[in-house]
Amino acid sequence: MPIEKSDLLQGTLDMLILKIVTLGPIHGYGISQRLRQISREVLLVQQGSLYPALHRLEKRGWLAAEWGESENGRQAKFYKLSPKGRRQLDKEESNWNRLAEAVARILQTAQ
Amino acid sequence: MPSWKFPFRKSPLDRQFDSELRFHIEKLTEENIAAGMTPEEARRRATLEFGGAERFKEELRDVHRVPILEATLKNFQWAVRFLRKSPSFSIVVILTLALGIGANSAVFSAIDAILLRPLPFPDGEQLMSLHQYNPKVKSPQARLAPLRLEDWNRMNFTFQAITGYYTEDVSETSGELPEKVTAAFVAPRFLQVWGVSPRLGRGFTPEEEHFGGPNAVLMSDRFWRRRFGADPGAVGKKLRTFGLSVSVVGVMPASFLFPEREADLWIPVPLDAPYSQDRGSTWYITVGRLKPGVTLEQARANLITVQAQLGKQYPKTDADLTVGIEPLKEKTIGGVRGSLWMLFGAVSLLLLIACTNIVALLLARAAQRRHEISVRISLGASRVVVIWQLLTESFVLAVAGALIGLVVAGAASNVFRSLAKGLPRVEEIHLDGRIVLYTLACSVLATLLCGLFPAIRGTRGTLSGALSQGSRTQVSAGAPLQWFLVGVQVALAVTLLGGAGLLLRSFQALGRVSPGFDATRILTLHISGSWGETADMKGLTQRINRTIEALRNTPGVEAAASSAELPGVPTQYQTELKFVEGQTDLDHKIVAESRFVSPGYFSTMHIPQLAGDPCRDPKFVTDSSNPNQVRFEAGSVTALVNHSFADTYLPGSKIIGGHLQVLGNAFLRADDAGEIVGIVGDAREEGLNHEPGPTVYWCISAPDPDPHYLIRTSMEPTLLAETMRQTIHQIEPARSVFDIVPLETHLSDAFAENRLRTILLTFFAATAVSLACIGLYGTLSYSITLRRREVGLRLALGALRSQIVKQFLWQGLAVTIVGCAVGWGLAAAFARVLSEMLYGISPTDVTTFVSVVLLMLLVAALAALLPSIRASQVEPMQVLREE
Repeated sequence: MPIEKSDLLQGTLDMLILKIVTLGPIHGYGISQRLRQISREVLLVQQGSLYPALHRLEKRGWLAAEWGESENGRQAKFYKLSPKGRRQLDKEESNWNRLAEAVARILQTAQ
Repeated sequence: MPSWKFPFRKSPLDRQFDSELRFHIEKLTEENIAAGMTPEEARRRATLEFGGAERFKEELRDVHRVPILEATLKNFQWAVRFLRKSPSFSIVVILTLALGIGANSAVFSAIDAILLRPLPFPDGEQLMSLHQYNPKVKSPQARLAPLRLEDWNRMNFTFQAITGYYTEDVSETSGELPEKVTAAFVAPRFLQVWGVSPRLGRGFTPEEEHFGGPNAVLMSDRFWRRRFGADPGAVGKKLRTFGLSVSVVGVMPASFLFPEREADLWIPVPLDAPYSQDRGSTWYITVGRLKPGVTLEQARANLITVQAQLGKQYPKTDADLTVGIEPLKEKTIGGVRGSLWMLFGAVSLLLLIACTNIVALLLARAAQRRHEISVRISLGASRVVVIWQLLTESFVLAVAGALIGLVVAGAASNVFRSLAKGLPRVEEIHLDGRIVLYTLACSVLATLLCGLFPAIRGTRGTLSGALSQGSRTQVSAGAPLQWFLVGVQVALAVTLLGGAGLLLRSFQALGRVSPGFDATRILTLHISGSWGETADMKGLTQRINRTIEALRNTPGVEAAASSAELPGVPTQYQTELKFVEGQTDLDHKIVAESRFVSPGYFSTMHIPQLAGDPCRDPKFVTDSSNPNQVRFEAGSVTALVNHSFADTYLPGSKIIGGHLQVLGNAFLRADDAGEIVGIVGDAREEGLNHEPGPTVYWCISAPDPDPHYLIRTSMEPTLLAETMRQTIHQIEPARSVFDIVPLETHLSDAFAENRLRTILLTFFAATAVSLACIGLYGTLSYSITLRRREVGLRLALGALRSQIVKQFLWQGLAVTIVGCAVGWGLAAAFARVLSEMLYGISPTDVTTFVSVVLLMLLVAALAALLPSIRASQVEPMQVLREE
């Protein structure tokens, strides 16, 4: 069953976007595709959440954006990770892992 | 490069959103087609899947929105930083604005204090000035008899109360030397009408307003400080005046400057005194306070009805009279309204010129900044954002200008106060919150006037065009807009200069009139006297004549006389007369100016006797019904008439030996007919700017107990001032002598308002011309800078330097000539506004306008010459190598 935005933990979407972008410059459509593919259709991110998030990250300076030509020759806005974004991602990833570990441990112990 | 965020922009950020989102929809469509849908179906599904684009575009905008306050603050920081980088430009603009705004605020502060604010009394707009007048004659004699004032007060239903006052310059003798004090004698309800209470002590009690009751006096704040050193214990002390001891019951607040600014004491006049019972007497300057909600017209109609009833009741004294009413403020302001608005108009034109000048400067600057602005726009800043930023720069300049302008205005209103001492309410002029607000409003207006147009123009055009077109390749620099602005400045400057020229020439014309009397080397002075003395005309006349005699016998004095009015200082006192020997012809009324002079007046003032005998003093008899009253003996009063009187009213008839009777005057009764003993030359008695009209000189040193003494001296008149004071002190030790001033000073003071507006308008015009020249100079220099390469090229190809000078000079002059032509038209319109203020010169005076235009051309040529010569000094090789 797909998980929609409201079920995602606050801030999780930002982290996922940053992670996807580490693979190289990519446009908004590409990001939504990758999220879907990598999560095996579990995470379906609405465009209404994706683009504000992208712009917010750009504004914070974690993402850098520039217009470029897409695979099929059309102008698209490409996002890539900034050094500042890289640091932010590292921080969020380790936080997430610690949280996930903690949650998993509780779930196992309580079984 | 800061990212430009702005709350209400549409593009280019919105366009970016659009294309980013459109890209996404297209990709979705492709995906659907790949899955086997038809293109139409694919697109429909994609759009559906994407959801409401508009809705989350708004979310995107929210992400980018920066609080407006923060953006504005940033704008200000950038503006200040930017202006500090080009200090000379900023200083020129700020000073120009400071001058424009400062002059404007200064004149506005005068308009605000004098014209706009209500009088400084509670509900000042309820105060009305009232007077009685005989519609048949022109006369300032509008004072009321005490009985009539009481009748008006009792019988009307539109006023809360009516009161009155008159003033006298008297001596106060409790000190070592007699001191001149101005006493105001007041009718009942005086404080009630003004709505002001004493700051110390109390007002008058009913007993003090009764004949034979205790004497009481209120002091002015000024007199209290001068005389008692502001001692709170002064209330209850005694003053000596009129040979009486009077007790001080209170001190009025310093702000209480009415009825007369000079008043030191207020003294109640008993209504029931025997001397108050004459309905023909003319004592009180009358003021009434309207009931709330009553209009001027209602009050006028009401009082006219009241006076009509009185006319039936007392036909002899009241039938000819009617009521005049006007707001006290209007009466106080008098004629200065026109002058002030004229000056305000002039000073606003000046501000407009200053702004035009700055527009030209900003345009030149915007051209230099074109590259920078293009880069900024290409990097994503919207045009509105850039305009907003440019306007912020203008606003910072304008505010700086306004702040310095306030200092200028403060200094200017001090100058204004000292130049305009005679102006009504001038002591109320000061800078306060209202003026500061006004100045700020001026600076916002200046920002829009100066900044908006250059900002809009500077940000126009495609960025690629500006980016590719470097300034180095620019050859043509027509800058037509800048030249248009220079033309506007010249036109406005010519307008002001034309007005100033007319006022100056009219002022000169006034100085050139031959008044018919000789005002040089005449010293004038006053000696305190009391209206009570007029009961004994014989005593009063003898006292004045004795003084004149003593003055005349002083070494250095050639002649001396007295007159109730100063010759040449504008006043009118017309009376209606009857020529006793003539036929009774009611259609042929004789109305003439009346003057009361001592017999030596004509020899003192050098007014020639044309026919007949000189003046004689009248004889006196004691009134049979009242032993205290000494009046003129019937048939003993003599009079002289001027040439104009004889010509106008009695041409051809034998007028010497005839008699004139005054109609409807309390002082000269009908049986006091005066014998015409001679004819004298015409003199401009009613004001230097008035053609002499028919005038009757009554040979009576009285009735004014305090006439003007006129002393012809054989030396500079002021040198004799102290001698005169001593001479008078010897024969009149209890009287004070004051206002010892040459007649010429009085004459020039009488035209102080005239002089003030002439000086100010001339100053504004001179400033306007300087600004226009600076504009011309700047624009020409700018255009030459842009064309240096062209000039260098032409010189290299063999052009003469003189040709270059001629070409640029002509460019400047051509614009000036067009500006002058338009300015002449505007000046003609301005002259029509001024026509009321002109004397002896037509508002279309060609000489004035031609001189103004020539002056403008000359100054403009000088301003254009310097940059033109500099242009011709260009070294061709150097310029060509620079590129």
